[in-house]
Amino acid sequence: MEATSSNNPQPQRATGMANLRYGVYNQPSNIAGKTVKEVRDQFSKIWGIPNDAVAYCGKDKLGEDSVIQPGQNIEFHRRAGEKG
Amino acid sequence: MNDEQKPKRFVLVGAGGIGNWLASGVVRLLEWKYPGSGLIIVDGDNYEEKNKERQEFTKLGNKAVVKASELTPQFPNTTIIPVPKWVVGDDFSGVADEESPKIKATDLVKENDIVLAVVDNFAARRILFDAARQLNNIDVFTGGNDDELFGSIYHYQKRDGVEITCHPEEFHPEYVNPPDKNPGELSCQERSQIEGGTQLLATNMAVAAFILGRIHKTIVSNQSPDETEIYFDLGLGKSEPYNRTHAEYKQEALV
Repeated sequence: MEATSSNNPQPQRATGMANLRYGVYNQPSNIAGKTVKEVRDQFSKIWGIPNDAVAYCGKDKLGEDSVIQPGQNIEFHRRAGEKG
Repeated sequence: MNDEQKPKRFVLVGAGGIGNWLASGVVRLLEWKYPGSGLIIVDGDNYEEKNKERQEFTKLGNKAVVKASELTPQFPNTTIIPVPKWVVGDDFSGVADEESPKIKATDLVKENDIVLAVVDNFAARRILFDAARQLNNIDVFTGGNDDELFGSIYHYQKRDGVEITCHPEEFHPEYVNPPDKNPGELSCQERSQIEGGTQLLATNMAVAAFILGRIHKTIVSNQSPDETEIYFDLGLGKSEPYNRTHAEYKQEALV
């Protein structure tokens, strides 16, 4: 289920800390108030988040324009290891 | 003998880069913790000279057969059964000939099994998870590696018909639409063209070690599988556990 879309009213942009995870990375960051796209752009180079990694809050899929709320746990899902 | 020491049945699917190390670890666990247990080793592939860099076999031949023949004399309290076949889904309609024997995942995986799905593709893992999902009590551990030093593992668990951890398809689109093909459903020629990618012995062994660690916590010590999924990177010296239990997501939704 997608939590927000561009057709829905956006929640107020409250700023502050939220937790961000991707693969082995896990970091509380000052990302509340930013959109998923903005966070992806900020962390894509340092963590190597690809463009097709979907962002989730719990089991809720977040759209690129979803605004991150303070205290949320946001995860960009990393593809699992394949070979063996 | 209390319930926790009852013999168990482990089904190891894939005896290659990860599976051959996992077999050596699991058989030791069974021999001393659960004497009288069974270890089924399933693999349709052959061990070849080119595998020697990352895999330990004493002779050429089918990986399941060779590994079982190596372990059996060393571990007399464990029954080790090789199944030199490729695992396929119920909908497989191709030919199963002598050169490419198959077994359906639903014929392989039984109630109360502990399945180690360490094949090198998402398509075959998906088949095993789907077969496991039809059962009431099951554990499936899977793992793989990429990009030389990166790896991850996942533990799917059901008890009394209830999913304790989520099916990996809830988080991984690669299980819903696998980008690869199940080698069991390919011809010999097509299989020979599959690239193994750049893999390292250290990462193969680390995946096996992480899975063994989860078996110790959740099967031997019977603790909750809270560290359902673990990502690691040997280059960065980092690992990160993710709680994929249904209970965790219900709790998160309430916050």
